Formats: sequence, C-alpha cells, structure tokens
Amino acid sequence: MKILRTLSGLILLFIAAGLVVESQETPSDRTVVNFSNPAKPGTLEVSLHGGSITVRGYEGKEVVVEARWRERLLTKKEDEELAEIEEEKGEEEIAKEKAQAAKAKGMKTIQVETTGLTVEEEENVINVEVELGKRSVDLTIQVPFSTALKLSNSEGVITVEKVDGEIEVDNSDGSIILTGISGPVLADCNDGEIKAVFSKVNPGKPMSFSAMEGDIDITLPADVRASLKIKSEEGKVFTDFDVQLTPSQQKKEEDERKEGGRYRVAFERATLALLNGGGVEIQINAYEGDVFIRKAK
Amino acid sequence: MNCEKTKEKFADYLVGNLDKKSLAEVQTHLTACPDCRGELESLSAIWTKLGVLPQEQPSSALRQRFYAMLKAYKEGMEEEKTKVFFGQAASRWIERFMPRRPVYQFALSLVLLAVGLGGGYWMSSSRPGVKKEIATLKHEVNDMHGMVAVSLLKQASPSDRLMGVSWSSRISSPSEKILQTLLEALNFDPNVNVRLASVDALYLFYDYPGVKEGLVNALTKQSSPLVQIALINLLVEIRERRAIDALRQLIQNEKLNSRVKKRAELGLAQLS
Repeated sequence: MKILRTLSGLILLFIAAGLVVESQETPSDRTVVNFSNPAKPGTLEVSLHGGSITVRGYEGKEVVVEARWRERLLTKKEDEELAEIEEEKGEEEIAKEKAQAAKAKGMKTIQVETTGLTVEEEENVINVEVELGKRSVDLTIQVPFSTALKLSNSEGVITVEKVDGEIEVDNSDGSIILTGISGPVLADCNDGEIKAVFSKVNPGKPMSFSAMEGDIDITLPADVRASLKIKSEEGKVFTDFDVQLTPSQQKKEEDERKEGGRYRVAFERATLALLNGGGVEIQINAYEGDVFIRKAK
Repeated sequence: MNCEKTKEKFADYLVGNLDKKSLAEVQTHLTACPDCRGELESLSAIWTKLGVLPQEQPSSALRQRFYAMLKAYKEGMEEEKTKVFFGQAASRWIERFMPRRPVYQFALSLVLLAVGLGGGYWMSSSRPGVKKEIATLKHEVNDMHGMVAVSLLKQASPSDRLMGVSWSSRISSPSEKILQTLLEALNFDPNVNVRLASVDALYLFYDYPGVKEGLVNALTKQSSPLVQIALINLLVEIRERRAIDALRQLIQNEKLNSRVKKRAELGLAQLS
C-alpha cells in the first residue's frame, strides 16, 4: 500500500515537473504595438536569421507580435567560430577574465535568458529584429489587412496569410508561402520554393518572383489581366490558363544608317504570356525549378 | 317692225350685214323695246365669248417686240445646250477610264488615296522645319520618360522601383544619367528582383558608353546568386572579354554558391 502511494506520488510529481519544465522551455514574448497613424496603412519590417515568420492579417488596428524561442544547439561551425574568437583574445581581455574569476571564486554561473528581440515603431513603420547568434525564434505577427510587409529570413519558412498590402519578401534557405494576398509581391529565395495564392490582384503595380533552386507556384484568379514575363533556365513552365504567347516582346530597333550611323536590333530573351489580354506585369525568374501558373478554381 | 322680225335680223345686225333701211328699222324698234334690247346684249356677249366676233387686233409694235423676245430666248437656249454638252462629254470621257466592277473601283480609289497621302507626306517631310519639330518632340518625350524612370527608382516601394526599371528600358535613346541610375540600381538596390530587372534593362543598352564596364564591375560587387548568374549570362552573350578577370575573381570566392561557380567556370571557358 505504502509503496503504491509513494509510487503514484512520485509519478504525479514527475508529471508536474514535466509540465513545468515544458512551459519553461518555450517561453514566449507577446507585445502589442500601435502604428503612429492607424488610419493610414503602415509597414511591417521583419528581419530574422533563423526561425520562422508567420504574418496574418486581421481586422484590428494594432500589430500583435508573438515570439516563441526555440532550443537551438550551436552548430559545429558556430562552435568553431566561438573558439576562434576565444583564441584571438588580447591581453586585456585575459586579464579581465582572470579578475572576474577571482571575484566569483566558489560560485557557479546560471543561465540568464537574453532575448535579443527588438520592436521599434517610427512613422508608421514597425521594425522587428532579432540579433544574429541568438536562438531561433518563431514569430507570429497579426497585422491589419492593409499593412505592407517587408520580411527577410535566412533559414526557415516565411508564411503570410490574408494581407492586402505590398509584400516584399526574401529568404535564403527556406520557403515562402503566401495565401489570400492581393498586393504587388516581390519575392526571391535561394533554396526554397515560392508559393503564392492570390485572392485578387491589384492592378497597376508590377510584381516579380525569383528563385534559384525551388519551384515557383502561383495561383491567380481566373479573370486576372496580366502579362507574365517568364524566364526559366533549366525548368519547365506549366499553366492551365489560356495564354497568348508573344516571344521576345522587347525588340529595340535603331536604324541610323542613313545618317552614317549603324543598324542595331536588340531582343529581350523572355517569353511574354498574356492572360485575358494582358495587364499587370509579373516577372518570373526561375533557374533550376519549374514554374506553375494555376487558375484559381 | 315687230319683235319677231327684229330678232330675226339680230345676227346680221351684229355682224354688220344689214342694209340701211333694215338697220334703221331695227334701231327704231330697239329704242322702243327694252326686251329686245336686253336680248341683243346677251346675244352679243355670248357671240364674243365664243370667238365668233373678231377681237381687237394687236398693234404692229407689239408684234415686233414679240419676235425680238423670241429670238433672244432662242439664242439663250442654244448656249445652255452647249454647256451641258461639255459636262456630259467630260463625264463620258471619265467613264471610259473608270473600271466597271466595283472591286476595281474600290482599288482605284485606294490607290488615289495612297497617292494623295504619299504626296502630302513627301511635301511635309521635305520641309526641314517639320522634321526638326518632330525630332524635338521625340526628344522631349524621351526626356520625360527618363525623368519618370529616375524618380520612380528613388521610391521606397520596391514595386515602384521595379516600374522605374521597366520605364527606363522603354526609352529609345537613354541619357547618361539614366544609364547611371540603372547601374546604381543594379549595384545598390536592396531588392533582388529590382536588380535582376535592371540587368535585363541594361542588356538593351549594352553598347552605350560605360555600360559594359559597369556590368563587369557589378559582377565583382554582387552577392546575390540570382543576379550573379544573370550578369554572367549577359556578359557571355555580348562576348565581353573584359569580364574574364572578374569571373576568375568570383570563382575564387569561397562563399560562392555552387551553381554560380559552375556557371562562372562555363562562362570563363566560353569567353577565353
């Protein structure tokens, strides 16, 4: 009987401890920021070096930033870099450390959380930054629908949902996924794929998508009027739209031979595909990946 | 003389065929008899209307005048006749040359239209004043394009800058300022897509002074693999041998993306 009670008590204790530990492992910071002028659309700029960025449009006027830190082991490379820095320490620094060790004799260090996340707002531009070298963070940000975004990451996925403003996004080693968007998009990434699903397309401003290795997959409304300038070095281009193809659209011809000059013709090496007669200019540059232009069902 | 006898003599009386004795008798009776007088008057009127009694004869002067008028009228008609004849003759002459079928008629009218247009154009273009005006206008439009492009390239929104690059690529003969601005965009614009677009734009102007050197220079400064590859492609296509050194330098860079390295090595082989 006694053993059973002790055992169950221990189990409960472990479970409780487990819960506590878990909540300790994933601390999250939450902050709410206001634009200086909430009536005008603002801009959100996020710059990360590892982790993920998720931005969602919502009906409010404030920007809610939530940051969740991940456990991140230092990669071998970073270990080596730190070791190098250790070796290069000058005499002053070594003397400092010796003095510190003397003061702290008999004590041990405890880990203190340093976040490295800063959020600034100036003239309707909110800037969220994470210092390089800190742990990876998963940012979840809610913004008013009309906000313009400028997102940059080096590793990890960038997701945007239901934002109407202009979106400028670049990623080195992760994918870019945009859904329910309408504004002009300028996206580029090296190692990931770009996927964009437009709920509608704002006419007038040009867009551009560029990817080195990944595919570019764009879904447009069936009645969109767009002129696609597509360049794909090693991949193929697929679409289920009825396109009107016009090759080498930009041909510049100068004939100055009559005035003793020369004749010159220059062609632009891209295929221009017109959807519904042409309209918004969308430039697509793919190198190794394929390009998919889908009609929204 | 009684009324009956007088009435019998009426006809002769009106024509003037009665002898003196009968005439006197009729006249005596008429003065006394109002009935007979009335009857004679109405009879006279009817006879006049019927043209039985001769009317007043026109004078000879009238006759002369009439003939003169007739002559003049006749002469006038002759003249008219000759005029009409001329018009008709001319149209008949044209009809001979006019093609019968409507298709050919249409073709002929088109040819005439073309001749007219051509003549007008020739006349206007041969005038040096007009040519100069057109050239000035073209220049002004070009300048305006340039100004729009340069101002767009300074905007905060990357989509506006992309539009600026598009505009500048549409200018037929860009000024040095525009080419400078494009090269700056290539080297310094924070957005990769804008830089890529400027490579495409500069391709159209590669033989303008300074552009080739600018492109070679840009290759050494670029860090984005996408733009590096676009630049290498362009330099190889225009066979710019000055890029060889820049390519070598690029290949030696440790941080270089492996795909770019492959492309650079290939480009080096192609240019050497």
